[in-house]
Amino acid sequence: MLGLLGQQGSDFAHKVDYAHDVVTILSVICTVAIVGVMLYFAVIYRQRDGKDHETPRIEGNNTLEVIWTVFPTLVCIWVAWLGYDSFVALRTPPANAMEINVTGRKWAWDFTYKNGKKTTGELVVPVDEPVKLVMTAKDVLHSFFVPVMRTKADVIPGRYTYEWFRPIQTGDFQVFCTEYCGNEHSKMLARLKVLPKAEFERWLADDSEARKLASLKPSDRGKELYVSKQCVTCHSLDGSPRVGPSWLKLFGKEGKLADGSSYKVDENYIRQSILQPQAKVVQGYPAMGMPSYQGQLSDDDITGIIEFIKTVDGTQKVEVAPALPKKSAASRAGTTPAERGKALVNDSGNLCATCHSIDGSPMVGPSFKGLYGRKEKLADGTEVTVDDAYIKESIYKPAAKIVQGYGPVMPAMYEGKLSDQDVADIIEYIKTLK
Amino acid sequence: MAAHASAAVNEELNYLNWQKGIWSWLTSTDHKRICFLYLFAILFFFLAGGVAALMVRTELAFAGPQIITDPHTYNVLFTMHGVFMIFLFVVPGIPATLGNFLIPLMIGAKDVAFPRLNLFSWYVYMVGAAIGAVAMFNPVDTGWTFYAPYSTTTGTSVSLMVFAAFVLGFSSILTGLNFIVTIHQLRAPGMTWMRLPVFVWASYATAVIQTVATPVVGMTLLLIIAERWFGAGIFDPSKGGDPVLMEHLFWFYSHPVVYIMVLPAFGVVGEIIPVFSRKPLFGYKMVVISSMAIAAVGFIVWAHHMFVAGISDFSAKFFSIVTFLVAIPTAIKVFNWVSTMYKGSISFKTPMLYAMAFVFLFMVAGTTGIYLAMLGVDVYYHDTYFVVAHFHYTIQGGAVIGLIAALHFWFPKMTGKMYNETVSKFAFAALFIGFNLTFIPQFMLGMDGMPRRYYDYPAQYQTLHTISTIGAYLNGFGYTFALANLLWTALFGKVKAPRNPYNSHSLEWQTQSPPIHENFAEIPVVTEEPYSYGTPTGRGH
Repeated sequence: MLGLLGQQGSDFAHKVDYAHDVVTILSVICTVAIVGVMLYFAVIYRQRDGKDHETPRIEGNNTLEVIWTVFPTLVCIWVAWLGYDSFVALRTPPANAMEINVTGRKWAWDFTYKNGKKTTGELVVPVDEPVKLVMTAKDVLHSFFVPVMRTKADVIPGRYTYEWFRPIQTGDFQVFCTEYCGNEHSKMLARLKVLPKAEFERWLADDSEARKLASLKPSDRGKELYVSKQCVTCHSLDGSPRVGPSWLKLFGKEGKLADGSSYKVDENYIRQSILQPQAKVVQGYPAMGMPSYQGQLSDDDITGIIEFIKTVDGTQKVEVAPALPKKSAASRAGTTPAERGKALVNDSGNLCATCHSIDGSPMVGPSFKGLYGRKEKLADGTEVTVDDAYIKESIYKPAAKIVQGYGPVMPAMYEGKLSDQDVADIIEYIKTLK
Repeated sequence: MAAHASAAVNEELNYLNWQKGIWSWLTSTDHKRICFLYLFAILFFFLAGGVAALMVRTELAFAGPQIITDPHTYNVLFTMHGVFMIFLFVVPGIPATLGNFLIPLMIGAKDVAFPRLNLFSWYVYMVGAAIGAVAMFNPVDTGWTFYAPYSTTTGTSVSLMVFAAFVLGFSSILTGLNFIVTIHQLRAPGMTWMRLPVFVWASYATAVIQTVATPVVGMTLLLIIAERWFGAGIFDPSKGGDPVLMEHLFWFYSHPVVYIMVLPAFGVVGEIIPVFSRKPLFGYKMVVISSMAIAAVGFIVWAHHMFVAGISDFSAKFFSIVTFLVAIPTAIKVFNWVSTMYKGSISFKTPMLYAMAFVFLFMVAGTTGIYLAMLGVDVYYHDTYFVVAHFHYTIQGGAVIGLIAALHFWFPKMTGKMYNETVSKFAFAALFIGFNLTFIPQFMLGMDGMPRRYYDYPAQYQTLHTISTIGAYLNGFGYTFALANLLWTALFGKVKAPRNPYNSHSLEWQTQSPPIHENFAEIPVVTEEPYSYGTPTGRGH
């Protein structure tokens, strides 16, 4: 009815929302009525001439006391029942629910499926199927909150708690940690990805990447991640300058940070730079150049990357697989140009979403929301209107016209990777983000 | 009253000037002077906690880092805000200041039952405060709730800070005991239980909670220290302990403590509305019974803070149902306050404005509390900004507004001066608007699912956060202005207060302003109810 809690993602969400609606309506009526009566009395019984007038000595009224004891009691019983009823739905997973193990740790969420598939920071589930999360924590208390599903439960070291839901629509949804757990509490986020059933089955069965990674020695695992997690976009292996420092003979290197203090690259420095890239930025590199990988890499992943960096001596070569096959699949995914553009933007091979948000939030680059048609001031002080030509130029030659306040950090890798048609589709998509 | 005639012999001598010098204050066992000792101490921590809150709000004004560059400092600030406001400001709040000042005056006694114990309580409070201040050298980052195992593993000085809270607890227990004995033993002739002003009743209910509940938190805090120093394993699951046990023990105190904070404010409102309406308090007996009922039921609702904490579904259901039992006596109080104004002769002095604002704010606090008592809805709202907004309406809108209302109302009695009405009303308006502007957006943030204790947040929440921050500054300005006005008038005010500026019928107004050292020249004899306003034949307006 009122829709105050937003989109409903689970089949019991409407029960919670109904209880919420009822109590909202009752609360507003009661508050308005009581405050209204108070203000009414205040107006009609005010002292008009600043002097006391004669008042009756009314000390109480038993009938009224009974009425306003019994009436709130009845309302409370009704409302308590609504809360109870929705709670029972939240706490009663069907027997056939698919179980997924969830581990909370400072500061990421790990998910393990029955077939051994593991993910970090991304919970993938099928639509219309009940899912039960069996949860525990490694270190301190956490809490797994999926607003759109209307459910939440604390995640506790040394014991198991659970929550469940049956998603009623596909899409990507936000997961928060809602029990305070220390420094990166507000970054302990995850994504809930609800897929169509067939797509989910394919995703679940495809454990090739995980199996491959698990069988590798740490430095090879790091090498794989170097490509698959797109480190390669900004960090070269041969000493050539890109957006970030090259990894060539990086380990053990010393130098100065942006704030003038000195650094030495060791295991902890690399770990921190992956999780909190802005903490210690090397002089001469953009302060906001790298997004955090908090929650996206497991501890083993990070160890692998560190071990790989230790080995980089200029002899390594990596095959950067052309993203084209993947991309072309994505570009056919939608039917309208804007839908194809959306698929391209979200395609992990293209990386747009790493630096450009679609909700207006500032990231490494300008948000796509409201971008089209806007006037932007460039770093050199001139002004441009964001139109087709500007966006196309920015994709193919990112360094040409940089908006004030942003760094020259976007890689010039899209020429040849994205066709003119692709770019036109992306522009159509940006136009829809108002 | 009997006090009139003989007190007039020497109007000039009063508790403020009969002894001079700072030492005479620091060694005074006069309950009225001890009120001021507490008042300055708690207002100092109100200021410190307020500054921490404004830094937190400033950081949250926009998404991304603003004035605080690392999350740890942010975590320290919201912890500092909570610990200072709860343990050092609001819990001692009304009882230690106004309770101290008013209870003996209202019941017609010369002082509390144990005056030296009363002074000792203040020193215990100051020792606790000093330990807390030392802990600020490596400030705590746990939040005021000290949940294990975070609190037992973090590197900050948790042990020192919880020891400070432990010591502060003793101050609270001793004050509570003192009040219970005072109210039982020192009532003037004719001051029967059913003639006690509701403020005394509320203080009595508060004192019972203080003495019964506080030892439990003391024990809990010591267990945290045992866990940190000796690895006792009480809360550590790897040693067979249970972190949820810590939550049970903590809330067994910390839920009743909400009533320690807010019951005295109920009492204040119950005093103010009859005086400015010229009407007896409607349903006096029900108001008294509901105070005691809230205190009693308050002890069996603690786990409603833990619906998603891993407690059994059965206990969640039990604690939800008993929580609704608190709503009923609270509603009765509100109905009675409003009915008191019926056919009154109402004047809008500043204390009355605060009292009426209190009714509105408390309606919001109470109705949003219903959302959180409802199981299915609480699962959504738990640990979101909705909860933050709800308890600020309860604690700030209730306890703190009650304290500020009381400071205005009894200011003439406490200082012998009249405050400036125009300035006070202006400050009230700033404070009231600022408060709502701060916390209404936080209810909306909660509806959108924004979790609490977040250093940073997704951009979709930014607009509401910005509005909330603007409100917080206005709110802070209002408090500063209101309190500065009172302080200024107390020190430099020219307008002398008469004995009974509001023509009140209760006992504290029948002695001189400010009262003499032992309150009454002669112990008064009480012959009437405290709210005997109006006439049996009066017809109202």
